[in-house]
Amino acid sequence: MNETLVACTALTKRYGNKTALRGVDLELGRGRIVGLLGPNGSGKTTLIKILCGLLQPTEGAVLVDGQPVGPYTKSIISYLPDRMYFADWMKATDLFDLFADFYGDFDRTRAMTMCASLGVTPSDRLKSMSKGTKEKVQLVLVMARKAQLYLLDEPIAGVDPAARDFILNTILTNYNEEGTVLISTHLISDIEKVLDEAVFLKDGQITLHDTVDNIREREGKSVDALFREIFRAPNFEGGAF
Amino acid sequence: MFGKLLKYDFRSMWKQFAFIWPAALALALVNHFTINGLDSAGTVGETTAGISMLIYVAILMAMFIVALVFAIQRFFKGLLGDEGYLMHTLPVRPWQLIGAKLVCAVVTTFLSVMVALLSILVIFPWDREVVGELFRGLRYVFTHWNIQATHGIIGILEFCLMMMVSFATGFLQLYLAMSIGHLFNKNRVASSVIAFIAINAIVSTLSGTLLLPFSDVLSDIINSMNGAASFHASMWTIIAGELVLSAIFFAGTEFVLRKKLNLE
Repeated sequence: MNETLVACTALTKRYGNKTALRGVDLELGRGRIVGLLGPNGSGKTTLIKILCGLLQPTEGAVLVDGQPVGPYTKSIISYLPDRMYFADWMKATDLFDLFADFYGDFDRTRAMTMCASLGVTPSDRLKSMSKGTKEKVQLVLVMARKAQLYLLDEPIAGVDPAARDFILNTILTNYNEEGTVLISTHLISDIEKVLDEAVFLKDGQITLHDTVDNIREREGKSVDALFREIFRAPNFEGGAF
Repeated sequence: MFGKLLKYDFRSMWKQFAFIWPAALALALVNHFTINGLDSAGTVGETTAGISMLIYVAILMAMFIVALVFAIQRFFKGLLGDEGYLMHTLPVRPWQLIGAKLVCAVVTTFLSVMVALLSILVIFPWDREVVGELFRGLRYVFTHWNIQATHGIIGILEFCLMMMVSFATGFLQLYLAMSIGHLFNKNRVASSVIAFIAINAIVSTLSGTLLLPFSDVLSDIINSMNGAASFHASMWTIIAGELVLSAIFFAGTEFVLRKKLNLE
Protein backbone atom coordinates (compact mmCIF):
# COMPACT_ATOMS: atom_id res chain seq x y z
CA MET A 1 0.00 0.00 0.00
CA ASN A 2 1.16 3.47 -0.91
CA GLU A 3 1.98 5.56 2.20
CA THR A 4 1.06 8.75 0.37
CA LEU A 5 -2.66 8.77 -0.39
CA VAL A 6 -2.88 12.03 -2.32
CA ALA A 7 -0.07 13.64 -4.30
CA CYS A 8 -0.66 16.84 -6.27
CA THR A 9 2.26 18.36 -8.16
CA ALA A 10 2.27 21.84 -9.66
CA LEU A 11 -1.50 21.74 -10.01
CA THR A 12 -2.90 24.68 -11.95
CA LYS A 13 -6.48 25.29 -13.05
CA ARG A 14 -7.56 28.18 -15.19
CA TYR A 15 -11.13 29.05 -16.21
CA GLY A 16 -10.66 31.28 -19.23
CA ASN A 17 -8.46 34.07 -17.93
CA LYS A 18 -9.33 33.41 -14.28
CA THR A 19 -6.86 31.25 -12.35
CA ALA A 20 -8.42 29.14 -9.59
CA LEU A 21 -5.34 27.13 -8.59
CA ARG A 22 -1.71 28.21 -9.06
CA GLY A 23 0.92 25.49 -8.86
CA VAL A 24 -0.47 23.59 -5.88
CA ASP A 25 1.82 20.93 -4.39
CA LEU A 26 0.08 18.83 -1.77
CA GLU A 27 0.77 15.48 -0.15
CA LEU A 28 -1.67 13.79 2.22
CA GLY A 29 -1.03 10.62 4.19
CA ARG A 30 -3.50 8.05 5.48
CA GLY A 31 -5.63 8.02 8.58
CA ARG A 32 -5.86 11.81 9.01
CA ILE A 33 -8.61 14.36 9.25
CA VAL A 34 -7.50 17.33 7.21
CA GLY A 35 -9.14 20.73 7.05
CA LEU A 36 -8.98 22.48 3.69
CA LEU A 37 -9.39 26.02 4.88
CA GLY A 38 -9.79 29.20 2.94
CA PRO A 39 -12.26 31.99 2.25
CA ASN A 40 -14.85 31.75 -0.53
CA GLY A 41 -13.24 31.71 -3.95
CA SER A 42 -9.84 30.51 -2.72
CA GLY A 43 -9.97 27.32 -4.84
CA LYS A 44 -11.17 24.74 -2.29
CA THR A 45 -13.99 23.36 -4.44
CA THR A 46 -11.80 23.38 -7.55
CA LEU A 47 -9.13 21.29 -5.79
CA ILE A 48 -11.73 18.80 -4.53
CA LYS A 49 -13.37 18.55 -7.95
CA ILE A 50 -10.02 17.77 -9.54
CA LEU A 51 -9.35 15.06 -6.96
CA CYS A 52 -12.68 13.35 -7.63
CA GLY A 53 -12.42 13.68 -11.40
CA LEU A 54 -15.12 16.29 -12.10
CA LEU A 55 -12.52 18.74 -13.44
CA GLN A 56 -9.33 18.28 -15.41
CA PRO A 57 -6.32 20.34 -14.28
CA THR A 58 -4.91 22.79 -16.83
CA GLU A 59 -1.40 21.83 -15.76
CA GLY A 60 0.19 19.51 -13.24
CA ALA A 61 -0.59 16.00 -12.06
CA VAL A 62 -2.68 14.24 -9.42
CA LEU A 63 -2.15 10.77 -8.03
CA VAL A 64 -4.54 9.11 -5.59
CA ASP A 65 -3.15 5.94 -4.04
CA GLY A 66 -0.44 6.07 -6.72
CA GLN A 67 -2.94 6.10 -9.61
CA PRO A 68 -4.03 8.90 -11.95
CA VAL A 69 -7.68 9.90 -11.54
CA GLY A 70 -9.96 7.30 -13.17
CA PRO A 71 -12.36 4.46 -12.33
CA TYR A 72 -9.96 3.04 -9.70
CA THR A 73 -9.49 6.29 -7.78
CA LYS A 74 -13.22 6.97 -8.01
CA SER A 75 -13.89 3.58 -6.45
CA ILE A 76 -11.89 4.51 -3.32
CA ILE A 77 -13.09 8.13 -3.00
CA SER A 78 -16.31 9.06 -1.25
CA TYR A 79 -17.36 12.55 -2.30
CA LEU A 80 -19.90 14.87 -0.71
CA PRO A 81 -20.57 17.73 -3.15
CA ASP A 82 -21.84 21.14 -2.11
CA ARG A 83 -25.21 20.46 -3.78
CA MET A 84 -27.95 17.82 -4.20
CA TYR A 85 -27.30 15.26 -6.89
CA PHE A 86 -30.46 13.18 -6.76
CA ALA A 87 -33.04 12.38 -9.36
CA ASP A 88 -36.27 13.38 -7.65
CA TRP A 89 -38.26 10.25 -8.46
CA MET A 90 -35.90 8.06 -6.45
CA LYS A 91 -36.25 6.92 -2.87
CA ALA A 92 -33.28 6.86 -0.50
CA THR A 93 -33.37 3.07 -0.72
CA ASP A 94 -33.01 3.32 -4.54
CA LEU A 95 -29.82 5.28 -3.96
CA PHE A 96 -28.62 2.65 -1.48
CA ASP A 97 -29.17 0.05 -4.24
CA LEU A 98 -27.18 2.18 -6.66
CA PHE A 99 -24.30 2.72 -4.22
CA ALA A 100 -24.26 -0.98 -3.29
CA ASP A 101 -24.07 -1.83 -7.01
CA PHE A 102 -21.23 0.52 -7.88
CA TYR A 103 -19.17 0.74 -4.70
CA GLY A 104 -17.91 -2.49 -3.17
CA ASP A 105 -17.20 -0.65 0.10
CA PHE A 106 -20.80 0.52 0.67
CA ASP A 107 -22.29 -0.90 3.86
CA ARG A 108 -26.05 -1.00 3.53
CA THR A 109 -26.71 -2.08 7.11
CA ARG A 110 -24.69 0.87 8.38
CA ALA A 111 -26.61 3.19 6.05
CA MET A 112 -29.91 1.99 7.51
CA THR A 113 -28.60 2.41 11.07
CA MET A 114 -27.40 5.93 10.29
CA CYS A 115 -30.79 6.80 8.79
CA ALA A 116 -32.46 5.62 11.98
CA SER A 117 -30.20 7.73 14.17
CA LEU A 118 -30.57 10.78 11.91
CA GLY A 119 -34.35 10.40 11.81
CA VAL A 120 -34.58 9.73 8.06
CA THR A 121 -37.17 7.33 6.63
CA PRO A 122 -35.30 5.74 3.72
CA SER A 123 -38.45 4.47 1.98
CA ASP A 124 -39.75 8.04 1.47
CA ARG A 125 -39.48 9.65 -1.92
CA LEU A 126 -36.69 12.24 -2.11
CA LYS A 127 -39.20 14.62 -3.69
CA SER A 128 -41.18 14.69 -0.45
CA MET A 129 -38.14 15.30 1.80
CA SER A 130 -37.07 18.67 3.15
CA LYS A 131 -33.75 20.17 2.10
CA GLY A 132 -32.19 19.28 5.44
CA THR A 133 -33.36 15.67 5.20
CA LYS A 134 -31.96 15.35 1.67
CA GLU A 135 -28.63 16.61 2.96
CA LYS A 136 -28.73 13.95 5.63
CA VAL A 137 -29.41 11.25 3.01
CA GLN A 138 -26.43 12.45 1.02
CA LEU A 139 -24.26 12.38 4.15
CA VAL A 140 -25.44 8.84 4.91
CA LEU A 141 -24.53 7.70 1.38
CA VAL A 142 -21.05 9.18 1.67
CA MET A 143 -20.26 8.03 5.20
CA ALA A 144 -21.67 4.49 4.85
CA ARG A 145 -18.73 3.70 2.58
CA LYS A 146 -15.46 2.35 3.88
CA ALA A 147 -13.53 4.64 1.54
CA GLN A 148 -9.82 5.46 1.45
CA LEU A 149 -10.45 9.14 0.90
CA TYR A 150 -13.50 11.17 1.92
CA LEU A 151 -13.83 14.51 0.14
CA LEU A 152 -16.38 16.62 2.00
CA ASP A 153 -17.07 19.95 0.33
CA GLU A 154 -18.54 22.41 2.85
CA PRO A 155 -20.54 19.79 4.75
CA ILE A 156 -21.59 22.24 7.46
CA ALA A 157 -21.96 25.47 5.53
CA GLY A 158 -25.72 25.61 5.08
CA VAL A 159 -26.96 24.35 8.45
CA ASP A 160 -27.56 25.77 11.91
CA PRO A 161 -24.95 25.31 14.65
CA ALA A 162 -26.87 22.49 16.36
CA ALA A 163 -27.01 20.51 13.12
CA ARG A 164 -23.28 21.15 12.58
CA ASP A 165 -22.38 19.15 15.67
CA PHE A 166 -24.75 16.46 14.53
CA ILE A 167 -23.08 16.27 11.10
CA LEU A 168 -19.55 16.37 12.47
CA ASN A 169 -20.46 13.65 14.93
CA THR A 170 -21.84 11.49 12.12
CA ILE A 171 -18.63 11.97 10.16
CA LEU A 172 -16.39 11.20 13.13
CA THR A 173 -18.23 8.09 14.25
CA ASN A 174 -18.53 6.59 10.79
CA TYR A 175 -15.41 7.24 8.73
CA ASN A 176 -12.96 4.49 7.92
CA GLU A 177 -10.08 5.09 10.30
CA GLU A 178 -7.46 3.88 7.85
CA GLY A 179 -8.76 6.43 5.37
CA THR A 180 -8.28 10.17 5.20
CA VAL A 181 -11.00 12.79 5.49
CA LEU A 182 -10.53 16.09 3.68
CA ILE A 183 -13.07 18.68 4.84
CA SER A 184 -13.28 22.01 3.08
CA THR A 185 -14.79 24.87 5.02
CA HIS A 186 -14.50 28.47 6.05
CA LEU A 187 -16.17 27.78 9.43
CA ILE A 188 -13.04 26.76 11.26
CA SER A 189 -13.98 27.18 14.89
CA ASP A 190 -16.61 24.46 14.50
CA ILE A 191 -14.26 21.83 13.17
CA GLU A 192 -10.91 22.79 14.65
CA LYS A 193 -11.22 20.34 17.52
CA VAL A 194 -11.50 17.35 15.19
CA LEU A 195 -8.69 18.22 12.76
CA ASP A 196 -5.26 16.56 12.66
CA GLU A 197 -3.91 18.77 9.89
CA ALA A 198 -4.79 22.08 8.33
CA VAL A 199 -4.20 23.27 4.76
CA PHE A 200 -4.62 27.01 4.18
CA LEU A 201 -5.58 27.96 0.66
CA LYS A 202 -5.37 31.58 -0.45
CA ASP A 203 -5.92 32.81 -4.00
CA GLY A 204 -5.30 29.32 -5.37
CA GLN A 205 -2.05 28.78 -3.49
CA ILE A 206 -1.25 26.79 -0.38
CA THR A 207 0.11 29.18 2.22
CA LEU A 208 0.34 26.70 5.09
CA HIS A 209 0.16 22.94 5.55
CA ASP A 210 0.97 21.51 8.96
CA THR A 211 -0.46 19.52 11.83
CA VAL A 212 -2.82 21.41 14.06
CA ASP A 213 -0.60 20.70 17.09
CA ASN A 214 2.43 22.21 15.37
CA ILE A 215 0.49 25.29 14.38
CA ARG A 216 -0.76 25.84 17.91
CA GLU A 217 2.68 25.30 19.38
CA ARG A 218 4.55 27.48 16.90
CA GLU A 219 2.05 30.31 16.64
CA GLY A 220 0.77 30.19 20.18
CA LYS A 221 -2.81 30.52 19.00
CA SER A 222 -5.67 28.43 17.66
CA VAL A 223 -5.98 27.61 13.96
CA ASP A 224 -9.15 29.70 13.90
CA ALA A 225 -7.31 32.73 15.30
CA LEU A 226 -4.45 32.26 12.82
CA PHE A 227 -6.94 31.91 9.97
CA ARG A 228 -8.68 35.15 10.92
CA GLU A 229 -5.32 36.88 11.07
CA ILE A 230 -4.15 35.66 7.67
CA PHE A 231 -7.40 36.09 5.81
CA ARG A 232 -8.65 39.25 7.48
CA ALA A 233 -10.14 41.51 4.86
CA PRO A 234 -8.13 44.72 4.62
CA ASN A 235 -10.02 47.46 6.40
CA PHE A 236 -11.66 49.90 4.11
CA GLU A 237 -10.22 53.21 5.08
CA GLY A 238 -12.48 55.81 3.71
CA GLY A 239 -10.60 58.88 2.60
CA ALA A 240 -11.81 62.39 3.14
CA PHE A 241 -14.13 63.80 0.60
CA MET B 1 -20.34 -1.77 -14.76
CA PHE B 2 -21.96 -0.97 -18.13
CA GLY B 3 -24.74 -3.43 -17.35
CA LYS B 4 -25.34 -1.75 -13.99
CA LEU B 5 -25.58 1.67 -15.64
CA LEU B 6 -28.08 0.26 -18.15
CA LYS B 7 -30.13 -1.19 -15.30
CA TYR B 8 -30.64 2.26 -13.78
CA ASP B 9 -31.33 3.92 -17.12
CA PHE B 10 -33.93 1.31 -18.03
CA ARG B 11 -35.49 1.65 -14.62
CA SER B 12 -36.04 5.37 -15.18
CA MET B 13 -37.34 4.64 -18.70
CA TRP B 14 -39.91 2.25 -17.29
CA LYS B 15 -41.05 4.92 -14.81
CA GLN B 16 -41.72 7.20 -17.78
CA PHE B 17 -43.40 4.72 -20.12
CA ALA B 18 -45.15 2.27 -17.81
CA PHE B 19 -48.32 4.31 -18.35
CA ILE B 20 -48.13 5.63 -21.91
CA TRP B 21 -47.36 2.37 -23.76
CA PRO B 22 -50.24 0.37 -22.25
CA ALA B 23 -52.46 3.46 -22.65
CA ALA B 24 -51.71 3.64 -26.41
CA LEU B 25 -52.57 -0.05 -26.82
CA ALA B 26 -55.69 0.23 -24.70
CA LEU B 27 -56.91 3.20 -26.76
CA ALA B 28 -56.22 1.24 -29.94
CA LEU B 29 -58.45 -1.50 -28.55
CA VAL B 30 -61.21 1.01 -27.82
CA ASN B 31 -60.91 2.29 -31.39
CA HIS B 32 -61.05 -1.24 -32.69
CA PHE B 33 -64.55 -1.54 -31.28
CA THR B 34 -65.79 1.98 -31.99
CA ILE B 35 -64.62 1.94 -35.64
CA ASN B 36 -65.64 -1.59 -36.46
CA GLY B 37 -69.02 -1.05 -34.86
CA LEU B 38 -69.72 2.02 -37.05
CA ASP B 39 -72.07 0.22 -39.47
CA SER B 40 -74.65 -0.36 -36.80
CA ALA B 41 -74.12 2.90 -34.88
CA GLY B 42 -75.89 6.18 -35.41
CA THR B 43 -74.60 9.74 -35.05
CA VAL B 44 -73.74 9.20 -31.41
CA GLY B 45 -71.58 6.23 -32.37
CA GLU B 46 -69.86 8.22 -35.08
CA THR B 47 -69.07 11.05 -32.70
CA THR B 48 -67.72 8.64 -30.11
CA ALA B 49 -65.60 6.95 -32.76
CA GLY B 50 -64.27 10.31 -33.94
CA ILE B 51 -63.35 11.43 -30.44
CA SER B 52 -61.70 8.16 -29.48
CA MET B 53 -59.69 8.24 -32.74
CA LEU B 54 -58.61 11.79 -31.93
CA ILE B 55 -57.45 10.75 -28.44
CA TYR B 56 -55.62 7.76 -29.90
CA VAL B 57 -53.72 9.89 -32.42
CA ALA B 58 -52.93 12.44 -29.70
CA ILE B 59 -51.50 9.80 -27.40
CA LEU B 60 -49.34 8.36 -30.20
CA MET B 61 -47.92 11.82 -30.87
CA ALA B 62 -47.44 12.39 -27.15
CA MET B 63 -45.61 9.07 -26.92
CA PHE B 64 -43.00 10.11 -29.49
CA ILE B 65 -42.61 13.58 -28.00
CA VAL B 66 -42.14 12.06 -24.55
CA ALA B 67 -39.57 9.64 -25.99
CA LEU B 68 -37.58 12.52 -27.50
CA VAL B 69 -37.83 14.71 -24.40
CA PHE B 70 -36.92 11.72 -22.23
CA ALA B 71 -33.76 11.06 -24.25
CA ILE B 72 -32.71 14.73 -24.10
CA GLN B 73 -33.50 15.12 -20.39
CA ARG B 74 -31.72 11.94 -19.35
CA PHE B 75 -28.54 13.25 -20.93
CA PHE B 76 -28.82 16.94 -20.10
CA LYS B 77 -29.99 16.59 -16.50
CA GLY B 78 -28.42 13.21 -15.80
CA LEU B 79 -24.91 13.90 -17.05
CA LEU B 80 -24.57 17.67 -17.43
CA GLY B 81 -26.77 18.89 -14.56
CA ASP B 82 -26.62 18.33 -10.81
CA GLU B 83 -27.08 14.57 -11.19
CA GLY B 84 -23.75 14.68 -13.04
CA TYR B 85 -22.05 15.08 -9.66
CA LEU B 86 -23.17 11.55 -8.86
CA MET B 87 -22.77 9.96 -12.31
CA HIS B 88 -19.29 11.33 -13.04
CA THR B 89 -17.90 10.21 -9.68
CA LEU B 90 -19.07 6.62 -10.15
CA PRO B 91 -16.15 4.28 -10.92
CA VAL B 92 -16.96 4.10 -14.65
CA ARG B 93 -15.52 5.65 -17.80
CA PRO B 94 -17.26 8.50 -19.65
CA TRP B 95 -17.92 6.32 -22.73
CA GLN B 96 -19.88 3.92 -20.55
CA LEU B 97 -22.05 6.75 -19.25
CA ILE B 98 -22.79 7.96 -22.79
CA GLY B 99 -23.25 4.43 -24.10
CA ALA B 100 -25.81 3.54 -21.44
CA LYS B 101 -27.83 6.68 -22.15
CA LEU B 102 -27.67 5.97 -25.89
CA VAL B 103 -28.74 2.33 -25.69
CA CYS B 104 -31.62 3.29 -23.44
CA ALA B 105 -32.75 6.12 -25.75
CA VAL B 106 -32.58 3.95 -28.90
CA VAL B 107 -34.42 1.05 -27.28
CA THR B 108 -37.10 3.42 -25.95
CA THR B 109 -37.70 4.93 -29.38
CA PHE B 110 -37.66 1.55 -31.10
CA LEU B 111 -40.16 0.14 -28.60
CA SER B 112 -42.37 3.22 -29.12
CA VAL B 113 -42.37 2.55 -32.89
CA MET B 114 -43.24 -1.09 -32.22
CA VAL B 115 -46.07 -0.06 -29.88
CA ALA B 116 -47.39 2.29 -32.59
CA LEU B 117 -47.30 -0.48 -35.24
CA LEU B 118 -48.89 -2.99 -32.89
CA SER B 119 -51.63 -0.50 -32.01
CA ILE B 120 -52.49 -0.11 -35.72
CA LEU B 121 -52.80 -3.90 -35.99
CA VAL B 122 -55.08 -3.84 -32.95
CA ILE B 123 -57.40 -1.30 -34.60
CA PHE B 124 -57.83 -3.42 -37.76
CA PRO B 125 -60.85 -5.73 -37.87
CA TRP B 126 -59.80 -9.20 -36.89
CA ASP B 127 -62.14 -11.24 -39.10
CA ARG B 128 -60.87 -14.02 -41.32
CA GLU B 129 -61.60 -12.13 -44.54
CA VAL B 130 -59.47 -9.09 -43.70
CA VAL B 131 -56.57 -11.13 -42.34
CA GLY B 132 -56.70 -13.37 -45.42
CA GLU B 133 -56.68 -10.29 -47.65
CA LEU B 134 -53.65 -8.99 -45.80
CA PHE B 135 -51.71 -12.21 -46.36
CA ARG B 136 -52.74 -12.36 -50.04
CA GLY B 137 -51.51 -8.80 -50.44
CA LEU B 138 -48.16 -9.67 -48.87
CA ARG B 139 -47.80 -12.75 -51.05
CA TYR B 140 -48.58 -10.62 -54.12
CA VAL B 141 -45.86 -8.12 -53.19
CA PHE B 142 -43.33 -10.90 -52.70
CA THR B 143 -44.16 -12.73 -55.94
CA HIS B 144 -44.63 -9.60 -58.00
CA TRP B 145 -41.24 -8.19 -57.10
CA ASN B 146 -39.77 -11.65 -57.18
CA ILE B 147 -38.68 -11.49 -53.55
CA GLN B 148 -37.85 -14.71 -51.83
CA ALA B 149 -39.14 -15.06 -48.28
CA THR B 150 -35.63 -15.15 -46.81
CA HIS B 151 -34.76 -11.92 -48.61
CA GLY B 152 -37.95 -10.45 -47.25
CA ILE B 153 -37.18 -11.37 -43.65
CA ILE B 154 -33.55 -10.24 -43.95
CA GLY B 155 -34.81 -7.05 -45.54
CA ILE B 156 -37.13 -6.35 -42.62
CA LEU B 157 -34.30 -6.96 -40.17
CA GLU B 158 -32.02 -4.68 -42.20
CA PHE B 159 -34.70 -2.03 -42.15
CA CYS B 160 -35.04 -2.32 -38.36
CA LEU B 161 -31.28 -2.08 -37.97
CA MET B 162 -31.18 0.94 -40.28
CA MET B 163 -33.89 2.56 -38.19
CA MET B 164 -32.05 1.96 -34.91
CA VAL B 165 -28.73 3.20 -36.29
CA SER B 166 -30.45 6.33 -37.59
CA PHE B 167 -32.03 6.94 -34.18
CA ALA B 168 -28.59 6.50 -32.61
CA THR B 169 -27.06 9.06 -34.97
CA GLY B 170 -29.84 11.50 -34.17
CA PHE B 171 -29.44 11.09 -30.42
CA LEU B 172 -25.65 11.32 -30.61
CA GLN B 173 -25.96 14.55 -32.57
CA LEU B 174 -28.16 15.87 -29.75
CA TYR B 175 -25.66 14.64 -27.15
CA LEU B 176 -22.75 16.34 -28.92
CA ALA B 177 -24.73 19.57 -29.24
CA MET B 178 -25.63 19.52 -25.52
CA SER B 179 -22.02 18.72 -24.55
CA ILE B 180 -20.81 21.71 -26.56
CA GLY B 181 -23.62 23.86 -25.13
CA HIS B 182 -22.68 22.96 -21.54
CA LEU B 183 -19.18 24.39 -22.05
CA PHE B 184 -20.70 27.86 -21.85
CA ASN B 185 -21.31 29.21 -18.38
CA LYS B 186 -24.50 31.00 -19.38
CA ASN B 187 -27.42 30.19 -21.68
CA ARG B 188 -26.54 26.52 -21.94
CA VAL B 189 -29.81 25.53 -23.56
CA ALA B 190 -29.58 28.24 -26.23
CA SER B 191 -25.92 27.35 -26.86
CA SER B 192 -26.91 23.71 -27.28
CA VAL B 193 -29.57 24.62 -29.84
CA ILE B 194 -27.08 26.73 -31.79
CA ALA B 195 -24.51 23.92 -31.60
CA PHE B 196 -27.11 21.49 -32.98
CA ILE B 197 -27.85 23.75 -35.95
CA ALA B 198 -24.12 24.29 -36.54
CA ILE B 199 -23.43 20.53 -36.53
CA ASN B 200 -26.27 20.05 -39.02
CA ALA B 201 -24.81 22.69 -41.30
CA ILE B 202 -21.30 21.22 -41.10
CA VAL B 203 -22.50 17.68 -41.77
CA SER B 204 -24.58 18.64 -44.78
CA THR B 205 -21.82 20.82 -46.26
CA LEU B 206 -19.17 18.15 -45.79
CA SER B 207 -21.33 15.31 -47.04
CA GLY B 208 -22.28 17.50 -50.02
CA THR B 209 -18.70 18.24 -51.04
CA LEU B 210 -17.00 14.99 -50.02
CA LEU B 211 -19.61 12.43 -50.97
CA LEU B 212 -21.15 13.96 -54.08
CA PRO B 213 -18.48 12.64 -56.46
CA PHE B 214 -19.04 9.13 -55.15
CA SER B 215 -22.81 9.18 -54.97
CA ASP B 216 -23.24 8.82 -58.78
CA VAL B 217 -20.88 5.85 -58.88
CA LEU B 218 -22.62 4.31 -55.90
CA SER B 219 -26.11 4.75 -57.27
CA ASP B 220 -24.97 3.29 -60.63
CA ILE B 221 -23.69 0.21 -58.83
CA ILE B 222 -26.87 -0.15 -56.79
CA ASN B 223 -29.10 0.41 -59.84
CA SER B 224 -27.27 -2.27 -61.81
CA MET B 225 -28.21 -4.89 -59.22
CA ASN B 226 -31.45 -6.85 -59.23
CA GLY B 227 -34.31 -5.83 -56.91
CA ALA B 228 -33.42 -7.69 -53.72
CA ALA B 229 -29.67 -7.09 -54.00
CA SER B 230 -30.13 -3.39 -54.63
CA PHE B 231 -32.38 -3.16 -51.55
CA HIS B 232 -29.76 -4.86 -49.38
CA ALA B 233 -27.01 -2.69 -50.84
CA SER B 234 -28.85 0.56 -50.23
CA MET B 235 -29.76 -0.47 -46.67
CA TRP B 236 -26.14 -1.27 -45.84
CA THR B 237 -24.90 1.94 -47.51
CA ILE B 238 -27.21 3.98 -45.29
CA ILE B 239 -26.25 1.97 -42.20
CA ALA B 240 -22.53 2.45 -42.92
CA GLY B 241 -22.96 6.19 -43.46
CA GLU B 242 -24.95 6.59 -40.24
CA LEU B 243 -22.40 4.53 -38.32
CA VAL B 244 -19.56 6.80 -39.47
CA LEU B 245 -21.52 9.87 -38.32
CA SER B 246 -22.41 8.15 -35.04
CA ALA B 247 -18.77 7.34 -34.36
CA ILE B 248 -17.73 10.97 -34.96
CA PHE B 249 -20.51 12.35 -32.70
CA PHE B 250 -19.76 9.77 -30.01
CA ALA B 251 -16.02 10.53 -30.03
CA GLY B 252 -16.73 14.27 -29.79
CA THR B 253 -19.14 13.84 -26.87
CA GLU B 254 -16.76 11.49 -25.08
CA PHE B 255 -13.89 13.97 -25.48
CA VAL B 256 -15.92 16.82 -23.98
CA LEU B 257 -17.09 14.74 -20.99
CA ARG B 258 -13.63 13.29 -20.34
CA LYS B 259 -11.54 16.42 -20.78
CA LYS B 260 -13.79 19.46 -20.54
CA LEU B 261 -16.51 18.57 -18.06
CA ASN B 262 -17.97 21.84 -16.77
CA LEU B 263 -20.74 21.12 -14.28
CA GLU B 264 -22.41 24.18 -12.80
